[in-house]
Amino acid sequence: MIRLRLICLALVGCLFLGEASSQGVTLPGAHHIELENGVVFILHEKHDVPLIGVHATIRGGAVSDPEGKSGLSSLLAGLLEKGAGDRGAAAFAEAVASVGGSLAASAGLEAITISGEFLARDSDLMVELLVDMLQAPALEAEEMRKLRDRRINLIRAAKDGDLRRLTPTYGNAFLFGEHPYGTPVDGSETSLAKLTHPDLLGYYRDFVGADRLVIAIAGDFDALAMIGSLSTAFRDWRRAAAPLPEIQPLQPQQGRRILLVDKPGATQSYFWIGNVGVDVGFPRRAELDIANTLFGGRFTSLLVDEMRTKAGLTYGVRSVLLRPSTAGSVATVSYTKTETTIEAIDLALSLLARIHEEGFTDDIILSGKNYILGQFPPRLETAAQLAAQFAELETLGLDESYINGYGNAIADADAAAVRAVIDEVYPAVDDLVVVVLGDAETIRDDIAKYGPITEMDISEPRFRP
Amino acid sequence: MALFAELRRRNVFKVALLYAVSSWLIIWFVGAIESEVTLPAWTNAFVLFVLAVGFPVALQFAWTYEITPAGLKKAVDVDQTQSIVYKTGQKLNAAVAVLLVLGVLAVFGQRLLPTFEFLVPGIPEGDAPVSARAPAEIRSLTLDNGLKIIVWPDHDIPNIVMYNFVRAGGRNEYPGITGLSHFFEHMMFLGTSNREPGEFDRTMEAAGGANNAYTTADVTVYMDWFPRSALETIFDLEADRLQNLTTVAEVVESERQVVYSERRSSVDNDNFWKLAEQVQATAFVAHPYQFTVIGWPSDIESWTQDDLISYYRTYYAPNNRTVVITGDVTPGEIFALAEEYFSPTPAQEPPPIVRTIEPEQQGVRRVEVESAAQTPLLHLAFHAGAAADPESLPMGLLLNILTGGEASRLHRALVEDEGVAISVGGYLDEGFDPGLAYFYLTLPPDGSPAAVERRVLEELQRAAKEGVSEAELAKARNIMLADHWRDLATIAGKAEMLGRYAVFHGDYEKLFALPEALDAVTTDDLRSIAATVFRTRNMTVGVLRAPEAGVAE
Repeated sequence: MIRLRLICLALVGCLFLGEASSQGVTLPGAHHIELENGVVFILHEKHDVPLIGVHATIRGGAVSDPEGKSGLSSLLAGLLEKGAGDRGAAAFAEAVASVGGSLAASAGLEAITISGEFLARDSDLMVELLVDMLQAPALEAEEMRKLRDRRINLIRAAKDGDLRRLTPTYGNAFLFGEHPYGTPVDGSETSLAKLTHPDLLGYYRDFVGADRLVIAIAGDFDALAMIGSLSTAFRDWRRAAAPLPEIQPLQPQQGRRILLVDKPGATQSYFWIGNVGVDVGFPRRAELDIANTLFGGRFTSLLVDEMRTKAGLTYGVRSVLLRPSTAGSVATVSYTKTETTIEAIDLALSLLARIHEEGFTDDIILSGKNYILGQFPPRLETAAQLAAQFAELETLGLDESYINGYGNAIADADAAAVRAVIDEVYPAVDDLVVVVLGDAETIRDDIAKYGPITEMDISEPRFRP
Repeated sequence: MALFAELRRRNVFKVALLYAVSSWLIIWFVGAIESEVTLPAWTNAFVLFVLAVGFPVALQFAWTYEITPAGLKKAVDVDQTQSIVYKTGQKLNAAVAVLLVLGVLAVFGQRLLPTFEFLVPGIPEGDAPVSARAPAEIRSLTLDNGLKIIVWPDHDIPNIVMYNFVRAGGRNEYPGITGLSHFFEHMMFLGTSNREPGEFDRTMEAAGGANNAYTTADVTVYMDWFPRSALETIFDLEADRLQNLTTVAEVVESERQVVYSERRSSVDNDNFWKLAEQVQATAFVAHPYQFTVIGWPSDIESWTQDDLISYYRTYYAPNNRTVVITGDVTPGEIFALAEEYFSPTPAQEPPPIVRTIEPEQQGVRRVEVESAAQTPLLHLAFHAGAAADPESLPMGLLLNILTGGEASRLHRALVEDEGVAISVGGYLDEGFDPGLAYFYLTLPPDGSPAAVERRVLEELQRAAKEGVSEAELAKARNIMLADHWRDLATIAGKAEMLGRYAVFHGDYEKLFALPEALDAVTTDDLRSIAATVFRTRNMTVGVLRAPEAGVAE
């Protein structure tokens, strides 16, 4: 009888433990293999649809661009698609498209990323193309010239287009200046024009190699067979020749600096208001995510509620955190019609002041937690998303607890810690970099009240004065 | 200690334990059926209250009374030598054990087995798909008020998607109310007779949900993404705004400014849309597809409350909508919720049909836009078919061959080989009525729109004369097939695609026939559609460039 009673209690105990199990998403298990030369593979089988996704990262990215040569890593990424192995540029594009696949390379601030998706039946081809791109890219001078010139014109076209896309580029460039995080990832018209073919070959030799590479693959494939073919292909690959640059965090801006970018005739002003923020390893990440969600990360956030819903000043406003390996930026980004430029910036500044003074109430914090937890699962729904997540964690040197512990960290965050993180991360209204893109003639005089203005024209072939 | 011994002798502790275990089972059971059948909101509180009140009563009863062979007697009246409390105690122990095991089995059983449906009389089961190609777990149902509901259960993640397709868009507008469909999309978030402006979003986000909406020339689509725990809240919110929307004057005024801001950023300050809007208005002279979906500025500034109210009544009626729900649900629970929340809204007279058919174009049309620009833009548009036309699939494949990615004909020729354009793209309108096959190119600063136009036409006429190769067709098929699977990899993609096929093709099951339909298309089909569509007299050309003088770039 006693024994039976104990079993029953044990069972009940298990049930309660089960009920108290962790909140949020748990990363599925994956094969994790590291070769001697430093290449890391992470493989996860997922058989719901006949697709296979790959996400490879090469640590480095725009911060490893040589001085004055912004856009070099991005140009290299573009050229990885322009022919590799036995295939010229056209044949390579044709090989990807002919099976309905995708395989694209792009640069970010601190890594080059290659991501692709193929029908499961074409997984061998996917691996072949990926290996060629990394180990035997053609990097032809003529293809480089064509892509470089086209990129310069695409920047000009972007300046003719919707300036929401370029506002953060101007913002971070003006805040960080000469610091590596001030570099426009895809370069500027001026920096691109300076890039030469030897620059490109040098970058490939110095910053692309086995010790920088992480390959994550998820989807409908056989992981054991894949380990075999990837190991064979990468076992003897060389390492990168140069060390990665060490990045020192920038000291936050004291006082204010204003940049006015003139777009004559614009009927709308775009603005970016920010300062130095935090890095990806910031220990109070859950509290910061809650604070940012509530300040400007969802539709009922303070910024959207006051500036759009109540005041009708804008269609969109956000608080954006850039969190690289050392301190990045925190910024409020929005736009409004030219006539309400000052009204909108004043309101944005007053809301920044308000979160320092008042923080957020307990019920709003609970709402923010529910929102983050409820919206998290769809971010890791597909094979491609999982591959990207595995690769990013590995590249940043983070372990699974970054995802698996996130739900509980959000649920457990308390109001005092959220309050503390606001003062720690969000700038004071007196210490700011303000960047405004718009019709300078109309707004110049009024903007002067925010601080000392530097002015440039949008057609100038760079992103900072 | 004597009291403790006596409590123990009279089995009071065992009764307490039995009571606790029984209570736990009852609470669990109520929780378990809650997700299957709709219980009043106060059920949980009521059950807890009854159980709490019952606890001291049960203990008092155990203390006072004792079971004897002659039945229930007061404990004080029982001769201790004749007492059978020990046997009763054993029975109580056994009961506790049995209940615990039952409870454990039930809880685990429910987790391990597929969710079992409670068969509640009156809740329809819905129709299974007819075709063997469609996943067998999909169910569809039309309520008495005409609202169509499609459910695709998928338990991969604990989330749900609800997409509400309203058959209302730019094509239902006329001069004076252009942009009203899109403005209405904004109004749907701004208050009902039960909820203040903003409360819709506050409630949804506090429950862990997020939402958005989009408007096209044909439909307005409302999208909710939320965790399973928010399911009933979402039904409540959606039913409320679909039945009780209010249009408060000052809210309308403020939102007018928001929409104007949207227009300024997406059209007035973006050269691409500045030109596309003019090309659209030039390509159609009769059909309402000529109206810009966001609305002409003067209309944004002047539509009235009455316009909004009559639009709501006509176009948001249940018989003009289709709801798609995918994710962690069972059809039974969805149909039960739909009956409760969506069936009270009455059907309306169907909206007036769009009678106008665009007359055949008699010659090339041209439109120019002068705008500060470093890079000129060139757009070419040709009248093509409607979504449900059999020619739309070959046309989609053909556009893929011409403009789909870096290996496409126009990209290779104009961007890579000749360098006369810096980007090229294309899309096919797939709406209720015949729309456009559309090409858009960005030229380098010194580019010549006239010369590039000639080159594009040469390429299009080559497709009409010589057709495409089998390899090109196979490539386009593969791209569309991979896109198809990518669409079905998420619950949001599933909802979007089911809805689109249900609304534009009349039957969601056609979605699953796409792989076979792609196989059936031949190179002849592509050549013939190219010859029909890519004629200069069927073409509208748009050019955007900086004014000849006066703008220094």
